Amino acid sequence: MWKETRERELGKLHPNLFSNRIRKTRLSSIQLSNHKEIVSSHRGSINSLQVDLTEGRYLIAGASDATVAVYDVQRATDYVEGDQIEKHKSIFVINKQHDHGHKYAISSAMWYPVDTGLFITGSYDHHINVWDTNTTQVVMNFKMPGKVYRTAMSSLAKSHMLIASGTEDVQVRLCDIASGAFSHTLSGHRDSVMSLEWSTSSEWVLITGGCDGAIRFWDIRRAGCFCVLDQSHSQLGRRPPLLQRSATNKVSTSKSSSSAQSSFEKVRAPQKKVVNSNALKPLAVGRISNQPKGVRQRLHPGMLSTHDRATAHYGVVTGLKVTEDGMYLLSAGSDSRLRLWDIESGCNTLVNFETTRLQSSKAIQMAVSRDSALVFVPCMATAKAFDMWSGQTMQTFRGHYENVNCCWYSSQDQELYTGSNDRQILVWSPPKFTSDETNQRGKGLSIAVDQDNWSD
Amino acid sequence: MSVWNYVVTAHKPTNVTHSCVGNFTGPQELNLIIAKCTRIEIHLLMPQGLQPMLDLPIYGRIATLELFRPHGETQDLLFIATERYKFCVLQWDAEAAEVITRAMGDVSDRIGRPTDNGQIGIIDPDCRLIGLHLYDGLFKVIPFDNKGQLKEAFNIRLEELQVLDIKFLYGCPKPTIVVLYQDNKDARHVKTYEVSLKDKDFVEGPWSQNNLDNGADLLIPVPPPLCGVLIIGEETIVYCSASAFKAIPIRPSITRAYGRVDADGSRYLLGDHNGFLHLLVITHEKDKVTGLKIELLGETSIASTISYLDNGVVFVGSSSGDSQLIKLNLQPDAKGYYVEVLERYVNLGPIVDFCVVDLERQGQGQVVTCSGAYKDGSLRIVRNGIGINEQASVELQGIKGMWSLRSATEDPYDTFLVVSFISETRILAMNLEDELEETEIEGFCSQVESLFCHDAVYDQLVQVTSNSVRLVSSTSRELRHEWFAPAGYSVNVATANATQVLLATGGGHLVYLEIGDGLLTEVKHAQLEYDISCLDINPIGDRPNYSQLAAVGMWTDISVRIFSLPDLNLIKTEHLGGEIIPRSVLLCSFDGISYLLCALGDGHLLNYMLNTSTCELTNRKKVSLGTQPITLRTFSSKNATHVFAASDRPTVIYSSNKKLLYSNVNLKDVSHMCPFNSAAFPDSLAIAKEGELTIGTIDDIQKLHIRSIPLGEHARRICHQEQTQTFAICSLKYNQPSAEDHEMHFIRLLDDQTFEFISTYPLDQFEWGCSILSCSFSDDSNVYYCVGTAYVMPEENEPTKGRILVFVVEDGKLQLMAEKETKGAVYSLNAFNGKLLAAINQKIQLYKWMLRDDGSRELQSECGHHGHILALYVQTRGDFIVVGDLMKSISLLIYKHEEGAIEERARDYNSNWMTAENNFNLFTVRKNSEGATDEERGRLEVVGEYHLGEFVNRFRHGSLVMRLPDSDVGHIPTVIFGTVNGVIGVIASLPYEQYIFLEKLQSILRKVIKGVGGLSHEQWRSFYNEKKTVDAKNFLDGDLIESFLDLGRNRTEEISKAMGVPVEELMKRVEELTRLH
Repeated sequence: MWKETRERELGKLHPNLFSNRIRKTRLSSIQLSNHKEIVSSHRGSINSLQVDLTEGRYLIAGASDATVAVYDVQRATDYVEGDQIEKHKSIFVINKQHDHGHKYAISSAMWYPVDTGLFITGSYDHHINVWDTNTTQVVMNFKMPGKVYRTAMSSLAKSHMLIASGTEDVQVRLCDIASGAFSHTLSGHRDSVMSLEWSTSSEWVLITGGCDGAIRFWDIRRAGCFCVLDQSHSQLGRRPPLLQRSATNKVSTSKSSSSAQSSFEKVRAPQKKVVNSNALKPLAVGRISNQPKGVRQRLHPGMLSTHDRATAHYGVVTGLKVTEDGMYLLSAGSDSRLRLWDIESGCNTLVNFETTRLQSSKAIQMAVSRDSALVFVPCMATAKAFDMWSGQTMQTFRGHYENVNCCWYSSQDQELYTGSNDRQILVWSPPKFTSDETNQRGKGLSIAVDQDNWSD
Repeated sequence: MSVWNYVVTAHKPTNVTHSCVGNFTGPQELNLIIAKCTRIEIHLLMPQGLQPMLDLPIYGRIATLELFRPHGETQDLLFIATERYKFCVLQWDAEAAEVITRAMGDVSDRIGRPTDNGQIGIIDPDCRLIGLHLYDGLFKVIPFDNKGQLKEAFNIRLEELQVLDIKFLYGCPKPTIVVLYQDNKDARHVKTYEVSLKDKDFVEGPWSQNNLDNGADLLIPVPPPLCGVLIIGEETIVYCSASAFKAIPIRPSITRAYGRVDADGSRYLLGDHNGFLHLLVITHEKDKVTGLKIELLGETSIASTISYLDNGVVFVGSSSGDSQLIKLNLQPDAKGYYVEVLERYVNLGPIVDFCVVDLERQGQGQVVTCSGAYKDGSLRIVRNGIGINEQASVELQGIKGMWSLRSATEDPYDTFLVVSFISETRILAMNLEDELEETEIEGFCSQVESLFCHDAVYDQLVQVTSNSVRLVSSTSRELRHEWFAPAGYSVNVATANATQVLLATGGGHLVYLEIGDGLLTEVKHAQLEYDISCLDINPIGDRPNYSQLAAVGMWTDISVRIFSLPDLNLIKTEHLGGEIIPRSVLLCSFDGISYLLCALGDGHLLNYMLNTSTCELTNRKKVSLGTQPITLRTFSSKNATHVFAASDRPTVIYSSNKKLLYSNVNLKDVSHMCPFNSAAFPDSLAIAKEGELTIGTIDDIQKLHIRSIPLGEHARRICHQEQTQTFAICSLKYNQPSAEDHEMHFIRLLDDQTFEFISTYPLDQFEWGCSILSCSFSDDSNVYYCVGTAYVMPEENEPTKGRILVFVVEDGKLQLMAEKETKGAVYSLNAFNGKLLAAINQKIQLYKWMLRDDGSRELQSECGHHGHILALYVQTRGDFIVVGDLMKSISLLIYKHEEGAIEERARDYNSNWMTAENNFNLFTVRKNSEGATDEERGRLEVVGEYHLGEFVNRFRHGSLVMRLPDSDVGHIPTVIFGTVNGVIGVIASLPYEQYIFLEKLQSILRKVIKGVGGLSHEQWRSFYNEKKTVDAKNFLDGDLIESFLDLGRNRTEEISKAMGVPVEELMKRVEELTRLH
């Protein structure tokens, strides 16, 4: 930071580069926080974590004991050990005793993206509740056909207020807060939907990952799914070579019909290639995709899903995360693989993430750093940070005693929050090096405490 | 500070970021176009040098500036892209002599992450498309159609993630780009792609080159016939094309800028990070490249851009020092260099720190900046208005007039200074000892007041008194001829030039005389209906000694009349309006435009443009210069004519860019002025003020006056100590890069008048000075300099050790009184309740100044506050402490005396990055004391937001102008800021009513004044960061509001109608504001 501020002063560093560099150095040093602790109010495994998108101040957590709690991560409630450790207790907790509280595990808790006046919870009790934060009352309730695994709202949306929900049911439903009704039912998956994400570049595009191993892209203004990711489709970066230009022109004429102006229309181009590769049996994938493309039939977008059986993972898609720039999608599967997809072309980038084992029974919540350089993934009892482009493990966060379910990365503070089956929420942050002799004692203590509790 | 703020630029940006050369204003005219971050300047290349043509503000920070010529055009168009993703294409309209917008648009995308390494904008050499790299992984193409019009843009995916540079290749049948990029393993490669416009995609290009120099970061495309590309690295330079690969090693250096010398692209100028200029030559046989050669040419400012003009003349634009116009000589000088500096263009950027001082104790602030970087570091003293450097002065009471005379017509210097009093005329002259001594001119009448004196042709002098005009030989000093006023009438006012005399007597008689050899002839006499208040026959026509026009100011009907000479025919009467009589009129011409200036008795000045053939008076403007009658006089300085308006607030009127400008002179109450160019005091002025006659030289005529003190080292922090009349700076000196300790850090003490180093305290190795403060402590009468330092160890990312040093100045020497070790870099020091408040890394620490048993003193820590990421900026008032954090915006702390502790009171929860706001914004926050809940009170409420477009390094309270009690703006508190681009700006807190009034004016001006390239002012000033974009609030753009004064009559009237306020009133209110800076 010293060097960057000095260069910044001379105008040699562009603001983007300046803040990115500082974020990066801070991020590379994160460890179990020596100054911040969240006092968990939950008695069940933590399934979902989110810090609000407006101020980056309030952390909402949903847990298996049907509790949801909100913590102020900027302002501590207590200081202990010579003011060295900030304790963050929950501002409020809603549990089963609450009149409208969920009966079973909360699988998803999230803020309304525009402000912190509302939050949304989804539960295994088949309900999605919309809460008023100030009164902690339910203002809206959606009854779903099965257990709710995941809910999502678009942070970009200017013209809709839709909660997308993944449930036990094969259909993805969009709940409209404005009307209180289901506005869309998206059919295509052949099994329940464990994970879903809105696009970060278009407010109309929803991405869902199902237990059938498929990842589907939906434009909610149109009928049906417009793209299904295929793990064997991996031709990214191959440009037609110069000498064969005349030959390739023929192929690409059909491609140029799609306007490059809108991102999702462009994504349609590659889908023509995947249309025929019906990868029903995983073993056959390689062979089929190599077959010459025979009959090209133009298909109605709504029809595509019935024809398309491509899979992204062998098994269940347990987690999805779109990078902040809207260009890449990261998916996790019960096959213990992470895959990085180029959204525009729908290609598997074939980055080999060094995962050993991923939790397969539950949905996992991944996080990506702001510059899309690192991805944080719950890997059984640890969380790992992988380099996005090489897949190498950059850091392993060991601290939880049981499986980690969710990660949330706050790019504003360069802090990582993880929630686990051991009912704890841990904060991982750049170390705060204390600087004064009067507090020397406190510092020594805090390290000792850390070691006692968390290092293994 | 109030909530309503007015932001105005006192000193425009001077940091040159881009430059290009081409035929922009005409097919035959060669222009140099310079971008200074938010402004562009268009210069015309003339045989005698660069002539400025136009200086335009751009509503955006310029990211790309390129000239290009579509097919079928005879002159170049200018492409500008701004950092906020707007672009425009500008064209010169020769008829209207203005820039028009050919095309404009927005190229922002929802998708993608903004590039880290700055935006790249390039134009295909065959004008088929414009390429932009704005977001990682995307290459935006704006194609041209056959007619040179832009078509709809589209994106192409670029798989290379870390792109360092992209250029178009010359001589390719299809547009082809070459991309320099870095891969995951930090190796650098180049790759080429053809852009297929039809498919909107890339096609694999003709060649690529892997594993280049690790420092390669610049591509230079080589034009036909050679084609290919040069890849500039830190240790090698490579020429690469489909068929050839040549490399040469170079001395390790980072090349910052290049300029192509020949159209065939065989020679290039390269400027490196140390300011050395090299010539790179591609040797070739016909079209075949045989090798590369590089030669050191010499040293310049550290270049950010290089433009080769013509005939070995090169413009070197710099961000860290003055920009230069250099000539490349064929023969080396004594140092072996081929570079000769022809001209320097002042650049204050980057202003790293500054202080506001009042060295002359006149109540006028001066800003002393730490400017420049590395070897180009300097101190700059910036002062508003024009200074008079006093050379000599005599006490003389009651001066009524002054004129200088020469002893012969051909004499280049003035000899005599005629000083007129109420009942006598005295003559001063320079004697042999260069002293001013009273003398006599026998032919002059010295017992009466002189009304006017002038040199005349044939070695004669003219004296006009109330009853006669005397013509005296300047050699024999004897009276040669005398003209007497008619009996019963006395001469009231008179004027003369070398061949003509015009005088007015009581009763409205106007008499015109011509001067011959020993003869005064009365040529014409006219009777006017009223008495005459003032006259002028300053020659503005073709003949230097003869005027064909006379301007006459009248009593009673308050008018100015123009008569023709010699026949005294009335050509034009202009009624001035109002009830104040004209007290001084002047005909003058600036930049080839003639003006009639007319000063009124109440300190107002009217100016008109004068058409010398028809005597049409146009473009009337009224400005208020002071409150007392004004006397106008021309003088010349540096071969240019200026007008001095003597009054209670003396002003120099001059012209720049064909626009009249007014600049205060740093004097009070000047009654008379005349130029006095004597051999001993060349180019001086004689000034009569407050019972004193002063002879002095005048500064360069410009609004802000800047004096440079080159240091040869980089000053980073500065502060002034009034008691010891010294400045202290923290500086660092760069030695030979090979040396072990190539950076040396010092605390230097400078005299505040001479700016010489008088004492130096060297810091330890790796120890940087980070902050400096002059303060005193409770229970101690001494004043101290406190310095905060940091040990920057090469192996450490963050400093973990620093010191606070306390110095006292004794006998002009810095004496170390105490030192205190800290656990980190001391980013900021503040005096706080007689104690010292330091910001050390993430902590705020308060120190007491304790007396030890042995009588010596030490700093003892009292209490602290942590919870910051990096406390970069700290300000205090009373018990309150405001902390600007690196990335956590602002927090407000309070010191509690009883507990001796510092506690947080409130915080701004927006995550603004505070290196004085990283995204070029300004914002204000307010403590919400009335908040209903603790939560609300603990929040600093954002009340004002504004996009400044400048990176501010420092804010200081103070003012650049003299605060006069009678002026409305005298009570407005102001803050000065200094930026990386060399801008000095002022933020003024306005009263609410004035804010509302000006806000309305601003919104009307936005509609009337169209931004260059169709860019929107509203969008430009909207607050913008990674998270949000919102309209500016509670801030006004003073630069826009003050541009009201430059508008033509029609448009000002249009605005006045919309505002419902008379033009004069509007003018007055806006002019008042210009006095803030």
